[in-house]
Amino acid sequence: MNDSNPFADPLRFERQVPECAIVIFGANGDLTKRKLIPALYRLAYERRLPATVSILGTSRTPLSDEEFRGKMHDSVKEFLEDSPFDEDQWTGFAKNVNYIAGDLSDPNLYSALKDKVTALGKTNVLYYLSTQPSYYGEVVERLGAAGLGRTTADGWQRIVVEKPFGHDLESARALNERIHAVFAEADIYRIDHYLGKETVQNILAFRFGNGIFEPLWNRRYVNHVQITAAESIGVEGRGAYYQEAGAVRDMIQNHLLQVMATVAMEPSAVYEPDAVRDERAKLLRSIRIMRPEEVPLYSVAGQYAGFRHEPGVEPSSQAPTYAAATFYIDNWRWAGVPFYIRSGKKLPKRTTEIAIQFNVAPHALFTPDAGGVTMRPNLLILRIQPEEGISLRFLSKQPGSGMRLRPVSMDFNYGSSFGERSPTAYETLLEDALTGDATLYTRQDMVEASWRVVTPILEDWASRKFEYPNYDPGTWGPTAADEMLARQGHQWRNS
Amino acid sequence: MTPPVATIDPEKILRDLRDLWAQLAKDQGSAGGVLRACSMTLIAVAEHDDAADAESARKSIGALMHGHPSRAIVLTPQQDGEFSGRVFAECWMPFGGQRQICSEGIEITADYEQTDEVARLLVPLIAPDLPVVLWCRGPRAFLDRSLDPLFPLANKIIFNTRAVRHPNSAIEFLRRMRKDGRQVADLAWTRLTGWREAVAHLMDACPGGWTAVSGGTVRIEYGGPRPGTRSLYFARWVERALPGMNVTLAPVGGAAGMHAVVFTGGEREVSIRLGDARSLEVRSGESRYSAVLAPDSEECLMHEELSILGRDPVFDRVLT
Repeated sequence: MNDSNPFADPLRFERQVPECAIVIFGANGDLTKRKLIPALYRLAYERRLPATVSILGTSRTPLSDEEFRGKMHDSVKEFLEDSPFDEDQWTGFAKNVNYIAGDLSDPNLYSALKDKVTALGKTNVLYYLSTQPSYYGEVVERLGAAGLGRTTADGWQRIVVEKPFGHDLESARALNERIHAVFAEADIYRIDHYLGKETVQNILAFRFGNGIFEPLWNRRYVNHVQITAAESIGVEGRGAYYQEAGAVRDMIQNHLLQVMATVAMEPSAVYEPDAVRDERAKLLRSIRIMRPEEVPLYSVAGQYAGFRHEPGVEPSSQAPTYAAATFYIDNWRWAGVPFYIRSGKKLPKRTTEIAIQFNVAPHALFTPDAGGVTMRPNLLILRIQPEEGISLRFLSKQPGSGMRLRPVSMDFNYGSSFGERSPTAYETLLEDALTGDATLYTRQDMVEASWRVVTPILEDWASRKFEYPNYDPGTWGPTAADEMLARQGHQWRNS
Repeated sequence: MTPPVATIDPEKILRDLRDLWAQLAKDQGSAGGVLRACSMTLIAVAEHDDAADAESARKSIGALMHGHPSRAIVLTPQQDGEFSGRVFAECWMPFGGQRQICSEGIEITADYEQTDEVARLLVPLIAPDLPVVLWCRGPRAFLDRSLDPLFPLANKIIFNTRAVRHPNSAIEFLRRMRKDGRQVADLAWTRLTGWREAVAHLMDACPGGWTAVSGGTVRIEYGGPRPGTRSLYFARWVERALPGMNVTLAPVGGAAGMHAVVFTGGEREVSIRLGDARSLEVRSGESRYSAVLAPDSEECLMHEELSILGRDPVFDRVLT
């Protein structure tokens, strides 16, 4: 909705996605079938997409429109999240789903795409790069060569770039240059689906919509912060990819540093795309870069027993399936507060959470009593998945005689306060890109800042030979990760 | 002097609620338990002496709970009615979920001449520290002052002027309420969302946008013997959005309600007409398309209103 429209009523009207075409490169891939098409179907189901939005899939596999629709039909049925499948709705949706087979290196593919988009009468086009990352630069250049990719008065041309955005700082910069040669920065949407999760967005609401937490949100009261993204499964058929990427590139450089930035950033003056992204970028730039000699002290690599037997994984692979790191933020708010980040596969359970541990009370008023505790830090847990919610741990008097204290938890559960289904991250992010809202997308300076943070770790780990495997499936990772925290007098919240 | 009434004990109702939750937990013990959900107190006042309306309110609340879990209180005022109360729960299993979510409810029957007493009774039954929404389902609030004692309990009061006989008086009543600092809503206004959205999108999409029709005329065509609150609201909304417009209300016969809106400015005419009950036919020059209207059900309208617990600046402007 145009802001100056005097008929606008943002409290009641959905933003309207304009007439457009969505071109998906890598349409036969996993992401398309698991996330993109189910998200687009759901947006259409909720009438948040105009009925005439065209979806144009392309990949190398020869398929007719009908065959592609059939495949996508099965995918949506299988992967639609928290939502029933409606056959009639699909029939209407599928009419606007088309497919063009072609090689990404073949200029004819782009001519065919251009002709198809023109034939569909669409002047607004969203390109979605869901291919192997090595193709990103080439696809963009070929779009440019075909005369596509430039926003004009007739319509916009935007591009969504999936992670990983480069495999290190240099490659990220190089890729950025190639994309900028065709698309303006305002039309580039670098996706980090963690930022599209309702519960990650809720961190901002929790921090800046309430008056009681923000005064405590600093080095005076916060002892340390733990950010955990644990998977109970292994690489599940993605061995070849994971061997190249590893846990730092797969999770920490993008998702977890973005979550950390959301937890630690300063409030922006207004909730507008560049204002929010400026603050995130500022925070990422404030993370202290480890010196080479600090890397072994402040980071831990791990690989689960059995990873090297996974399909596509070399028997001597040095890829970490677990990574933990201690980061410090060099600014007034957070100076000296450790931020512990870890991510791993084959850990005891699937959970993503942020645990903010506060300092203990300055004086132990209550003396120990049998079975009770006297001092325990307050803990604020922001649960991203599963069981999204927030809980606060504090001490309470146990019923009965004497003053025996026991930790108790005060819980807010997203599901119990908002019975409604939450949109998936991809629904949110796709709708945002289609309406031109980049608040939840990362900017080039953010990408570069986060690569800068992890570069010393990646370089150090690449130069060392680890004694892998160093943790068993179903455990919380290598013991060195526990030791890293123990050196600071802390321990992981393994529950 | 008001005769003494046999009242009910709020403490007992709260005890009954506790017992209800204990029983629900017991019933679901081996199946993942239940999640108690509450984000507000929703007090629905059924029409006087109308058991069917109370039942309909209860059904609507059951549907609303999924999106707005609340402590629901369904109040049925009856002539010479005795006070009675009972508790109930609405439970549902989220799609793909493993644990039932339940919300609690209380049904109260009371003498409609005793709403002062009802208001006192409701105070301890309201879920603490959460918003309170009062839903006056019928036109009673506009006919007499019997519901007035309930108004101070609520952060938001939702009315429905669809069936009122005197639309201008009803709007004046809401205007006074608003002036007194109460946050009010009207489901007749909520029913206009689809129309207003179509206008807003049309003005965004058509060449020249809203400036192309600014300073021109707007004709609001309505059926029935007189314009209803919807047509009156719509006219006021357009006047507020584009102060220079000449807005007229034109009877066109047929069923009561709004039938069409025609904007004319210079050479340009854009119109939005009711197609079937679920769609609007939009015309702007050569361009024609249909806009689907959201279902006109009570649940959908209430869902929209319950999503707005703060001030509604656009409706406020319309009432100003």
